[in-house]
Amino acid sequence: MEIKTKLAKMVGEENVSDDPDVLRNFSVDCSLEKPRMASYVVRPKNAQEVQEIIGFANEVRFPVVPSSSGIHFKGSALPLQGGIVLDLRRMNRVLEIDERNRKVRIEPGVTWPELQAELAKRHLMAIMPFLPHPLKSAVTSHLEREPTVITKFEYADPVLTMEFVYPNGRIMRSGSAVVPGATTTAISDCAFPEGPDIDYWRLLQGAQGTMGVVTWANVKVEYLPEVNKIFFIPFEKIGDAIEPLYRIQRRMIGLECFLLNKLNLAIILTEKLPNDLEQLMEILPEWVVVLVLSGGKRHPRMKIEYEEEALREVGKELSLAKIMSHLPGVPRAEKKLLEMLRRGWPVDKVYWKFAYRGSCEDIFFITKMEKVPHFLDIIKKSLAAYRVIDIGYYVQPIEYGRACHFECNIYYNGSDLKEVDSVRKLYAEVAEALFDSGALFTRPYGLLADLVYGRAAGYTATLKKLKTLYDPNNVLAPGKLCFR
Amino acid sequence: MRLEDYAHDAVACIRCANCKWIDQNYTRSHRFSKVCPINVRYGFDAYSGGGMLTIARAMLEGRLEFTPRLLDIVYKCTLCGACDVRCKRNLDIEVLLTVEALRSKVVQEGYGPLEPHKTITQKVKQTGNRYGSPNKKRLSWLPEGVTPGQKADVLYFVGCNSSFVQVEIALAAAKILKASGIPFTVLPDEWCCGQPLLTTGQEEAARGIVEHNIKAIEVSGASTVIASCAECYQTLKVKYPRFLDKKTEDMSFKVLHITEYAGQLVKSGALKLGGRANLKVTYHDPCHLGRLSEAWKPWHGVFGKFSIPDPPREMRRGTFGIYDPPRELLRSIPGLEIVEMERAKDQAWCCGAGGAVKDAFRDFALWTARDRLEEANLTGAEAIVSSCPWCEENLKDATGDNGKGMQIYDIVQLVANAI
Amino acid sequence: MSLPKEAYQALQSLVGEENVSNDPVICEAVRGGCAGINVWDKDVISPACVVLPKTTGEVQEIVLIANRYKLPYYPTSSSMHVIASARLPNTIAIDLKRMRGLEIDDKNMFAICESGVSSVELFAEVTKKGLWCMVPWCGGQASVVANTAVHGTAPSLYRFGFPHRRILATEWVLPNGELLNLGSASLLRDYFWGEGPGPDLRGILRGTLGHLGGMGVVTKMAVKLLPFQPERMEPMGISPVTALKIPEKRMKFFNITFPTYERAVEAIYEIGKCEIGAMVMIIASLFRYVAKARGKGTAAFWEEWSKVGDQVDWTDTFARVSLIGFTSEKQMIYEEQVLKDIVAEFGGKIREGRPVDESQFTSPDAISSFFVTGTFHPPTLVFDSLDAGLKTARRNVELRKKYKGVLAEDHGYPGWTFSVELGHMCYYEFLCYGDIEDKESLAKLELEIMQSDIELGGWPMFQDPNLLGPAWLNYHKHLRSLKEILDPHNLSNPPLPERLPWNVSPETIMKKGD
Repeated sequence: MEIKTKLAKMVGEENVSDDPDVLRNFSVDCSLEKPRMASYVVRPKNAQEVQEIIGFANEVRFPVVPSSSGIHFKGSALPLQGGIVLDLRRMNRVLEIDERNRKVRIEPGVTWPELQAELAKRHLMAIMPFLPHPLKSAVTSHLEREPTVITKFEYADPVLTMEFVYPNGRIMRSGSAVVPGATTTAISDCAFPEGPDIDYWRLLQGAQGTMGVVTWANVKVEYLPEVNKIFFIPFEKIGDAIEPLYRIQRRMIGLECFLLNKLNLAIILTEKLPNDLEQLMEILPEWVVVLVLSGGKRHPRMKIEYEEEALREVGKELSLAKIMSHLPGVPRAEKKLLEMLRRGWPVDKVYWKFAYRGSCEDIFFITKMEKVPHFLDIIKKSLAAYRVIDIGYYVQPIEYGRACHFECNIYYNGSDLKEVDSVRKLYAEVAEALFDSGALFTRPYGLLADLVYGRAAGYTATLKKLKTLYDPNNVLAPGKLCFR
Repeated sequence: MRLEDYAHDAVACIRCANCKWIDQNYTRSHRFSKVCPINVRYGFDAYSGGGMLTIARAMLEGRLEFTPRLLDIVYKCTLCGACDVRCKRNLDIEVLLTVEALRSKVVQEGYGPLEPHKTITQKVKQTGNRYGSPNKKRLSWLPEGVTPGQKADVLYFVGCNSSFVQVEIALAAAKILKASGIPFTVLPDEWCCGQPLLTTGQEEAARGIVEHNIKAIEVSGASTVIASCAECYQTLKVKYPRFLDKKTEDMSFKVLHITEYAGQLVKSGALKLGGRANLKVTYHDPCHLGRLSEAWKPWHGVFGKFSIPDPPREMRRGTFGIYDPPRELLRSIPGLEIVEMERAKDQAWCCGAGGAVKDAFRDFALWTARDRLEEANLTGAEAIVSSCPWCEENLKDATGDNGKGMQIYDIVQLVANAI
Repeated sequence: MSLPKEAYQALQSLVGEENVSNDPVICEAVRGGCAGINVWDKDVISPACVVLPKTTGEVQEIVLIANRYKLPYYPTSSSMHVIASARLPNTIAIDLKRMRGLEIDDKNMFAICESGVSSVELFAEVTKKGLWCMVPWCGGQASVVANTAVHGTAPSLYRFGFPHRRILATEWVLPNGELLNLGSASLLRDYFWGEGPGPDLRGILRGTLGHLGGMGVVTKMAVKLLPFQPERMEPMGISPVTALKIPEKRMKFFNITFPTYERAVEAIYEIGKCEIGAMVMIIASLFRYVAKARGKGTAAFWEEWSKVGDQVDWTDTFARVSLIGFTSEKQMIYEEQVLKDIVAEFGGKIREGRPVDESQFTSPDAISSFFVTGTFHPPTLVFDSLDAGLKTARRNVELRKKYKGVLAEDHGYPGWTFSVELGHMCYYEFLCYGDIEDKESLAKLELEIMQSDIELGGWPMFQDPNLLGPAWLNYHKHLRSLKEILDPHNLSNPPLPERLPWNVSPETIMKKGD
C-alpha cells in the first residue's frame, strides 16, 4: 500500500498532505537554514496515532520530524532528510489544571497565549520564556530549555512528568506518571519528574526531536500575582548592570528580571514603526534592567514593600543613579510590559523580532553574569568587519543569578539576499569567536552543532550510543545535533 | 575485658560514618571537619571506630584471624574516644569499650601487645615506672616543705612523666597546692598508674600495680587524690573502678584533676592569681580529661527484642567531661587571652600520644600532633595550653616540623606563674 | 577470595602500596550493607580488596583494570548506607575518601566537590559566604557527590528542589572506564552549568534514586548553592545535645499543631502557594520522643513511647515551619504574618520555637532513626504530591497492622513528610522498626507495599525494575539495555541498577534478567 494511504488510515485522509504548498510551509522557517522538503505532513490527534506513525516509519525506515509550534526559529523542525513532518498542532488540549498541586497537563500543540489565558481564569500562570511568539508551543519551549524570565524558582525546570513516544514507537511516561492508572485512578498525582531509574525528560530536552515525541507534559504553574510593581534601572554600559543584577538576585528580590539594550526595549514598546522606534531610541537609556516585584497571595503589598526597600538598599550601596517605576517619555510602558510578560506577545501585533527589519537571527548561550561584558566585546569585534547591523541584546539571569542566558538578536532584511548572506557569515564568525572564548552553547542549532560536538568527544560518543539504543533505525529527526 | 561482652555493640554499628567526623553543628571548615586520626591518616574504613566494630563482629563470628594488619589497626588507635562520643550522640553503642576489648582479646589470645609495649610493661613491673629508672628517683623533684607519706586529706598523684621528665609540671602543681594553704601529701612509693598496661589490653598484668596504688592511697588516709596528668586522672577515676567492677563513686577516694581542684580554690579565694600573663593561648582538651573522664558505672545485662537493654544501660557520652574548669581557670589569669580551636571540648582532635600509640608508632603520633599544631596556629594563639604532660610532650616533639614558634605549656605552669 | 595477582599488582603500582589492600581485615571492615538494616545486608560478602584513589585518573585506571580482568567493583565514599557492597567474589571496593577537593564560586553560587567531601563541611564553608547548601537528612557526614547522585533529600528541598535539580557539571567514570563530563565540563574547564549540549546526559546519571554504584563512579560534581542570610549561626552545647544558635531577626522556627493530619496537609499546601518559608514539614511524634530521650538511652524512650495511645499522630499532628529572611529582616515579619494567617484559617495552634536549631541545617540527628531498635527500614518513600503521600500513609498503616508484635510498636504512626519545591511535591517517609536479628519481616513488608503500589498506582521510591517493570511500561527492558551499553561486562556493582540486590540471590546476579 502506498505510504500516503497507510498514513491516511492512521489519522484520516484530511490529516495527511503531500501538497507542495503545504510541504513548502514546513521546508523553511525563520532561521538561516536552507530549505528542506519533506514528503508528507501528517497531523495526529493523540498518542496512539503518533505511535502508529512512528511504528510505521520504523518499518519503512522513513524519517519523522516532530513539529509542535506554528513557527520555528532555529531550523529544529526542518526535515533534513525528507520524510514525514509530524505536525502536532491538532493535539492542542489543556488536559487538566491541577490547582492544588499547581501543575497543568498540556498537549504539545497548546500555545503560550492559550495556556496563560486558561490559567489566568484560576489566578495561575505558567513560567514563560521572554515574550515567546504567540504560535509557540509551550511544551516545545520547555523541551528547548528556553530560559524563563522569572529567576526565583531555583529549581529551574518547570517540567514535571511527560508522556512520550520513543523513536522506536514504544510509549513511555516519565516519573510518577509511569504508574498504572496515571491521570485517572492512581494514587500518584504524576507530579514527580524523575525516574523510573533515569530522567527521561532530560534526554528529551534539548534533543530537537531526536529522542522522542512528547504527547503531553505536566508543567508547574504558579500563583498569578494580582499586585505588581515594575521597575526600570538604567545603565550606560552593560558592565555597570552586572553587579546590581548579582545583588538583586542574591537577595531574592522580585520575579521577572532581565536586561535589555535600548534597541530591544524600543522594539518591544513601539506601537508604530518606524517613528515611534526612532523616538524611543532617543529617550531610552542604553541598557535597562527590568524588574517586577509581585505581591504574594496574602498581604501582597507588604511583600512588595519589603522587596522595594531591599531594592533601594542595593541602589544605595552601588550608588545607582535611578530606580524608576516608569519609563519617562513612554507612558504606560510598565502596564504594557507586564501584560506581555504574563500573557505573551499579543496575537494581533507583528512579533517583536520581526517588527523591526522583518527577520531576526539569534545567537544565544549560557554564561556567568560576570562574563557578559567580555562576550559583548567579542561580538562587537566581529561586527566591526561588517556594515552596521542592528543588534538587540537580552540578558536573562537564571536561578538567582547563578548564570545567565545571553542573547544577541541580529535584525536584518530577509528579502535582501545580500544581507542574508552577510548575516549568515556574521553569524558563523560570531558563533565561532564566542565558542572559542568560552561561551557555552547548550542548545546547538545548525552549524553550532558541528562546533560543539566536535569538541565534546566523550559527550558525543555517549549521546550516539543512546540514540542507537532509542532509535536503532534512525528515524526520528535524523541529521540533527550529532546524529548524522 | 571480654570481647564477648560487646557482641551486641559490634553488631549494632550502622555504618553511618559519624565516628569519623566532628559534630555537624560544630563543623566550621572543610580543613578541620574530621575527628578520627587513624582514619584521616590511613584512609581505610578499618581504621575507624566503626571499622573496628565491624572487625570485632567478624572476630566473634569466626571470620577473621589475628594478623599483623589487625594488630596495626587495633594498636594505632589512640583510644581518644572521639568515635565513641560521636556515635553516642544518637545511638547507644559502646564503641570505645569494644575497641579496648579488642585489644584485650589480642592479648588474651597471645598476639599482643606489640614489642614496644612489652618493653614498657617490663620496665613498669620491674621499676614501678615506665622509664625503667629506679623508682626512688621519682621523688627527686620534690621541693622543700613537701613530705611524702605525711598524713593529709589531699594527695597529689604525680605520675611518671612529671616525676621523671617534665618535672616543671610537678613543681608548678606543688606550688599551686602549697599556695592554697591546704595540706597535701604525695605517696612515698607511687607506682606508675598502670595506664601503659591497661590501655594495651594487659589487664591481668596490671593487677599488681592497681592493687598497689589503691592500697597506698588508702594507707595515706587521703580522701581526695589530685592528678596533674590527665592519663593518671582517668586511670584512677575510671579504669581502676572498671578493673574492680565497681562504680567510681564507690571507690575509697575521690579523684580530681588539678584544674578542677585549682578552680575550686580560686572560687573559694584560697588561691589568688594576680600576676599578668600577657599571652594569647588556645586550650587543647586532653582526651582523658575531656570526653573520657566521666565516672564509671558497670553494667551487666542482656539485650532483649528490639535491642532494649535489661537492666537499662547508662551510657557515658562525654557530656560531663572536664572541659570548662580548665578554661575558667585560664580566664582567671589576668592578661591571658583565650581563643578556641575549631575542634574543642568533646570534639577535640587527639594530640596523638594516647592509647600507647607514641610508644609503638612515633611517626604517626607526631603526624597527629602536627595536625593539631596547624589548627592551633590558625587561631593566632602564641601558645597551646593543655593539662596533660603526654599531650604537651607530643606537641612539643612535633613543633620542630611546623611549630611556627608555638609555645607549649601545661596549665599548671601558667597558673603557678600567676600566683 | 583474592584478586588475580596481576590485577592486584596493577592496582598497587597505580595508587601506591599504602593505598590498596587485600588484607582480610581491611576488606572485612567495609563488608556489609546498610546500617544494620539487614534487609539490605542480605548476601553481602567482603570485597577482595579496597583501593583508595586520589584522582579521577586513578579511578578511571582502576575501572579499566577491573574491565580487563573482569572484576566486579563498587564505589563508596562516606560509607553510610552502603547499598554498594560486594556480593560476588573478587570484587574491588573503590573507596573515594581521599578525593577531598573542594572549590567554591560564591559569586556564581556553585561548589565543585570531589567524592570525599561531606555535605556538612560544604555547608560550613558556604555559610561563611552568605550561602547555603542542602545537607541531607540521612546525616551531614554523607558525601555531597554520593548523596546527590543517589538520594539527596532533606526538608530544605522546599527551596532547593529535588536532588536532580541541584546537579551542575559532573565528572563521571563510566562502567567501562570512559570518562564522561556532563554539562559545561563537557566543553569548558568550568563546572558552572549542568545542561547539554543538546540532550542532557544528567538524565542517565540518576532517576528517582541513583544507580547505587551500578553505573560507574561519579568522581566530581558541581552542586548548586542558594542565597542564605548573612549572619553566623553559632554552635552551642555539648554532645549529645548540640545546636546552632540562629540569628533571631533572620531566622525563626514555628511549631504548629493541627487537629488532624489532613488539616496539616491542607495548611502546607497553602503555605507553598503563598511561597513563604524555608522548610515545611510534618514531624512524626516518634521523632519527638526520640529527641526527648536523647542522652538518656533507649529504655527512657520506650518508657515514654509505651504510654502513647494508638492513632496519636492522626489527631495530634505536629508541623514545623522554618522561616529565613533571605531578603531582609522585614521579609521575616511578612512571612510570619502570612504563616499565622494560614494557621488560624486551618485551625492550628502556632508557637514560636526556641532560637536554636538542633538538627535541621546540619542534620546531626538523622541517625536517631536507628536509636529506636537498632535497625530501621523505610519500606516505602514517596516523592510525589502531598496528597499522594497522605494516601500512601493511610494505606501503609493498614498494611503494617499485620506485623503488630513483629515490628516495634508504632501506635499507628503514619510516617512523616515535608513539602518540596514550594509545595509542588512532597517527600514522604514511612519508617518501620524491626529487630536486629529479624532479616525477613521488613523485607516482606517492603514487597507487600510494592505489590500494593502496582495495584493502586502508587509511586514507591525503592523500585525493583524486575518487579515493577512489567507494570510500568516495561521500563526495565530499557534500563537493561542502557546497562548493557555502558557496562557490557556487568561489573559495576552488579546487579544494580537492573535489580535491587536484596531481591536476588548471588547465583543469579550476573545473569541477564527476564
